[in-house]
Parts: sequence; C-alpha cells; structure tokens
Amino acid sequence: MDTRLKEDHFTLFRYVSLAFKNLRRRMVRTALTISGVGLAVAMAVSLGGFVMGYQGAINRSIDMLGFQVMIMAKGCPYEAATLMLKGGTGLMYLPGDTYEKVKNDPDIESITPIFVGIALKEGTAKDSEKTFTIINGIDVPSFLSMKPWLKFQSGSGRWFSPQSRDEVVLGSEVAAFEHRQVGDSFEANITPYGNTEAVYRQFKVVGILAQAGTQDDGTVFMPLDSARSAFNRPRQLTILGLKLKQFNAATMRDFENKWLKLPEVQVVSLQQVKTTLISLVATAQTMIAAVAVIAVIVALIGVINTILMSVYERTGEIGIMKAIGARRGDIFQLIWLETLVICLFGSVIGSIFAWFGSGLVEKAIRSLADFGVSGSIVLITPGVVGYAILGSAVLGFFAGLYPAWRAASMRPVESIREGV
Amino acid sequence: MKRHYHRGSETVKALDGVDFSIHSGEMVSVLGPSGSGKTTLINLLSCLDAPTEGTMTVAGKSVTGLSEDQLVEVRRGVLGFVFQQFHLLPTLTVMENVELPLTFLGLKPHPQRTKEVLKLVGLLDRASHLPKELSGGQMQRVAIARALMIEPKILVADEPTGNLDKATGESIFGLFKELTQKGLAIIITTHNMAFGYEADRVMTLEDGKILKEEKRV
Ligand SMILES: Nc1ncnc2c1ncn2[C@@H]1O[C@H](COP(=O)(O)OP(=O)(O)OP(=O)(O)O)[C@@H](O)[C@H]1O
Ligand SMILES: [Mg+2]
Repeated sequence: MDTRLKEDHFTLFRYVSLAFKNLRRRMVRTALTISGVGLAVAMAVSLGGFVMGYQGAINRSIDMLGFQVMIMAKGCPYEAATLMLKGGTGLMYLPGDTYEKVKNDPDIESITPIFVGIALKEGTAKDSEKTFTIINGIDVPSFLSMKPWLKFQSGSGRWFSPQSRDEVVLGSEVAAFEHRQVGDSFEANITPYGNTEAVYRQFKVVGILAQAGTQDDGTVFMPLDSARSAFNRPRQLTILGLKLKQFNAATMRDFENKWLKLPEVQVVSLQQVKTTLISLVATAQTMIAAVAVIAVIVALIGVINTILMSVYERTGEIGIMKAIGARRGDIFQLIWLETLVICLFGSVIGSIFAWFGSGLVEKAIRSLADFGVSGSIVLITPGVVGYAILGSAVLGFFAGLYPAWRAASMRPVESIREGV
Repeated sequence: MKRHYHRGSETVKALDGVDFSIHSGEMVSVLGPSGSGKTTLINLLSCLDAPTEGTMTVAGKSVTGLSEDQLVEVRRGVLGFVFQQFHLLPTLTVMENVELPLTFLGLKPHPQRTKEVLKLVGLLDRASHLPKELSGGQMQRVAIARALMIEPKILVADEPTGNLDKATGESIFGLFKELTQKGLAIIITTHNMAFGYEADRVMTLEDGKILKEEKRV
C-alpha cells in the first residue's frame, strides 16, 4: 500500500459529513422529519418551561408577599390567595377589631394590617373597557418590616408624612403606565361604601417604588386610614399579614386552631396556598404532557420511517460501500449518525422556536386561565433546553438502532444486485 | 470450488466445480453465456460471497469458511471492485467518490494520491463534478479510480464494459492492460469476445463449469 497513506484521526467527522450529504439528498423529506421532531421538542420544552416557570412564579410571588400566614374574611382560601396576588374584585372585609384581638398573640413575630380597595382607573370610568387600580392602605412601619426590599426608584420620593390624607406611593408599573412622577397628581374614581356613584379623587404622588417583580409593582399605596376613609370603611381591614416566631406545620396548625374561633375569620398558610396553586395547574400540565408524549412518539416513528426508507433506497449503495471496505460497524455508524443529526437538528430548532415563542405560549396560557401570579410563568431556561436536546439525542440513539442494524446487516452481493 | 443456491427444494448449481488460479500482473477474462455463473464466480473471488464447497486462497491467506465480518477484513486493502452499473455515490463528487475507500479503511484523505489516480484514468479535470454530470465511460473510469485508490493487489470487474460503447470499452481495456504492467492481477467478466480475447488468459464458463481455458501468447 502507498506509504503516504496515514491513519485518520477524524473518521467521525468524515462520517458526519457523509451523513449530511445523504440527508441533503432528500431535502424535503429530511426537512419534514426534522419539523416533526422540532414540533415535539418545542412542545416538550414549552411544557418544561411552563412547569418550571409556573412554580418559580408562584414561589416568588408568595415569598414576596413577605408573610407566611394571612388572616382574612371567610371564603375560599385559594380565592383569597389569588385575590391577594392579583387583586380580584370580590373583596371581603374583616371586622375592625380583629387586628386588635390578634396582634398581641405571643407566637407572632410581626403583623401588618392591609386594606385593599379597587378604584376605577382615572378617566376611564365611562369607557366600555373599564380598568382598575388596586389600592393598598398600609401601615408603613409594619408593612416595611415584612417587605424590607421595597425601595424607592433612585431619587424618587419618600413614604407618607404622618398627617397626610392625600398622599400616594406608586408601584413601578403603575407609575410607568400612567406616566407619573413624584410631585404629579394621581387621579382615581373611588366608590365609597354605601354610595352608588364613584367619587373623583385627586392624590399627590410622593414616591415611586423600584421594581420588585411582584404584585406590588401594580399597586397604589396610601396610608391605612386614608384608604379606609376613601372607601368609607373606617374600621375594616382586608388582610392581616403575619410572620410567626416559629413557622412549621405544627405551629401553623396550633395558630390556626387558636384563631379559627373568631367567627368570620380564616387563617391561610401561604405554604398551603403554594401547593394548592401548583396542583391547580397540575392537571392541565399532565394533559399537555400527554400531548407532548404523543407528539414525541409520532415524531420518532417519523424519524425511524424516514431513515428506514432511505436505507432501503440506498440498498445498492450500502452494498457498494461494503464491497469497497466498509465494515458492518461503519455502515451502522453512518446510518445512526443520520438519525442523530435529524434528532439534534429538530431539537435545536424546536428549542429555538419554544424560546422565541414562550411569550406567545405565556399569553395563550394566561388567556385561558389567569393564575394571578406576576412574572413569567413560562420560563425556558438553558437547563430545560439542555434536557430537551439531551433527550432527543437519547431518543435518536434508540430510533437509529433498528434502521442502522438493518443497513449494517445487508449482505453486499444481494444489496448490489437488488439496488440496481 | 462450488457455489449452490438453494431455493426451497430446488438447488441451483451456479458454480459446479471450478478450479483455477490468478497471478499478479495477469489479466484473466471470464466469458460465457448469460446464467453460466460468471457473476457468481466473480463474487466468490472478490470475497463478497463464500463458496458452498471448496477452498480459496487470496494473497496467501485462506479464506475458506470465513464469516462475513472476516471476509470484509480480507477485502479491505486487497481487492478493488468495478461493476457493470458503476455504482458511484450520487451525492459525492468524483474526488470524494474516489477518496471514499480511504474513509472506510480509516485512512486520511490524500488529495495528492487521489489526483494521481484520477490522472491515471484521465479524469483529473472532472474532480469536482458530480457523477450525474459524467458520461457512462467517465463514470466507469471513476469507479476504476475508486478501486485503485487503496492500491489493491487484485482488481475484480464484472462486465465493466457492459454499459459502454465499443470505443469506450476499448479504452477501459487499454487502461486495464496498463495496470497489469504495474503488477495488478485483474479478473474481468464480459460478453464481448473481442475484449475477452485481449486478456492474458481466457476462461469460458458454461453451466457453472469451466468449458475451456485458453492462454494467449
Ligand atoms: N441469489 C441467487 N439465488 C438463486 N439463484 C441465483 C442467485 N444468483 C444467481 N443465481 C443463479 O445462478 C446462475 C448463475 O448466475 P450468474 O449471475 O452467475 O450468471 P452470469 O454468468 O453472471 O450471467 P449474466 O451474463 O447474465 O450476468 C443463474 O442460473 C442464476 O439464476
Ligand atoms: Mg452477471
């Protein structure tokens, strides 16, 4: 043999290049197969992103409430939790003395009273599309001790002065949406309890909060008493948010039992809300997962079919390759690489689509059901994409086995004869 | 050597006792009517198929009773093939087709050698063309170049001129003769008597048996 011929250290590269050339030969068929894989992967990635993102968003939203336990008027606790998260409209109020009764419980580390009211957004009262502003009446010192991370946007403002009756602090989203700055006025139409007509009110913006990534961004804050009087509920409260000195299942149960004796009150652990909110969508997620699994199976069958077809079409060529020195393993590797290339391409394309489409998926999911969490609920992380690509590689590995084995075990004489 | 094909209860004696040898630098042609067992013989000689009965030795090594995987090892680097239908890979250029055997042998592409081989078959200027852009004769030359790439000791050609016109066929035979000068053993089947009798030795098969064997002087 020619002494100039040297051992090759890049054989894998040569086989990959051969595989590509074979796949290019039937571009449409290859593209369709890749699309099938892409579609399945996009679904799987979106689902993964939804599971991860949703849990993350719920945990974040609830952790950012700052308190572990809520005391609120009786009703469905989960409705109550969503209400707290997104500011629903069916507000219910605690009797005014609940705060005084509860606040001296020795198990409590800190407690803050919150009054929630809904105002019609200024100037939109007569529009067909009414929008709402959530107003939180708060007790600033105790509220801040629960949420120490709340900060003003650089150089924009302060909390309310003690004697103020008409000062508001805006969450970052509200401020951005309404184009308000510190010193501007903030207008809202508020319907006081007992009235049928909304009353036009003007407030003064004294501070704008930095973005927190929670429902606080969309909230207008005012002093507890201003809010109560604006809504003409001078003694009432919506929520008592509190932290226990020791928080675990046992202390929570004790605390719950202790205060459930108050007739109109329910005690809600946010841990329990988290679990419930997550399980609420679990059914939906299982259904999407089932569809994704079917899509994956269909895509896999497509891949196997495509590769098998191309193996049979190339019977003659495979025989020739064997005649000119290809071992069984070489043919196996070649066909198997083709399968892998299809699966990897499909998964990369699918991931890209899922990545860019995550906004749409998010919109679609939110339009079907608003889960009342802020932040994105479809979160496509590199981890999710990594798993999808790895998963496709593994599936490609199995999908390729049979066609590759078929090709590898073709006998050269017969293949060449048949392949003519 | 014998090669029988079994079809149900029926046995086709495609080769029914053939005994001969080929030496390096020798060109042997196999003539015979259709169905006489030429292709069957060629497949055995090229280690693509195993005899039902009998023994065979290639380059000093016995290949009797070897499995398919072991036969590949014998083929690799020793045997070159040329087929009636050329069988080039349509997706690869002339150059890539010729280099392909190196890939399967785990050897680095060697453009210099590829060019030399292409020059030998007179197709250097077509190196970057695809097979479909070539004429039949040119495709057969590429197939020959591919077979020569690994410097085989034996070149096996089953009706290499079967799909070519007379003039092109002649030039292919001319090329084969040149190659035998370099010490290559060549065995060819053909229907064409005129071509067949250009070989050093002519073997005529009939019904799987050697009818006659003539040595040319
Ligand atoms: N795979 C097979 N199974 C059964 N019978 C076969 C097989 N291959 C060849 N034969 C038979 O063996 C005999 C010899 O066939 P072979 O192909 O060797 O003939 P040939 O001399 O090459 O003919 P041609 O000149 O037409 O190419 C024929 O009768 C053929 O039908
Ligand atoms: Mg034949």
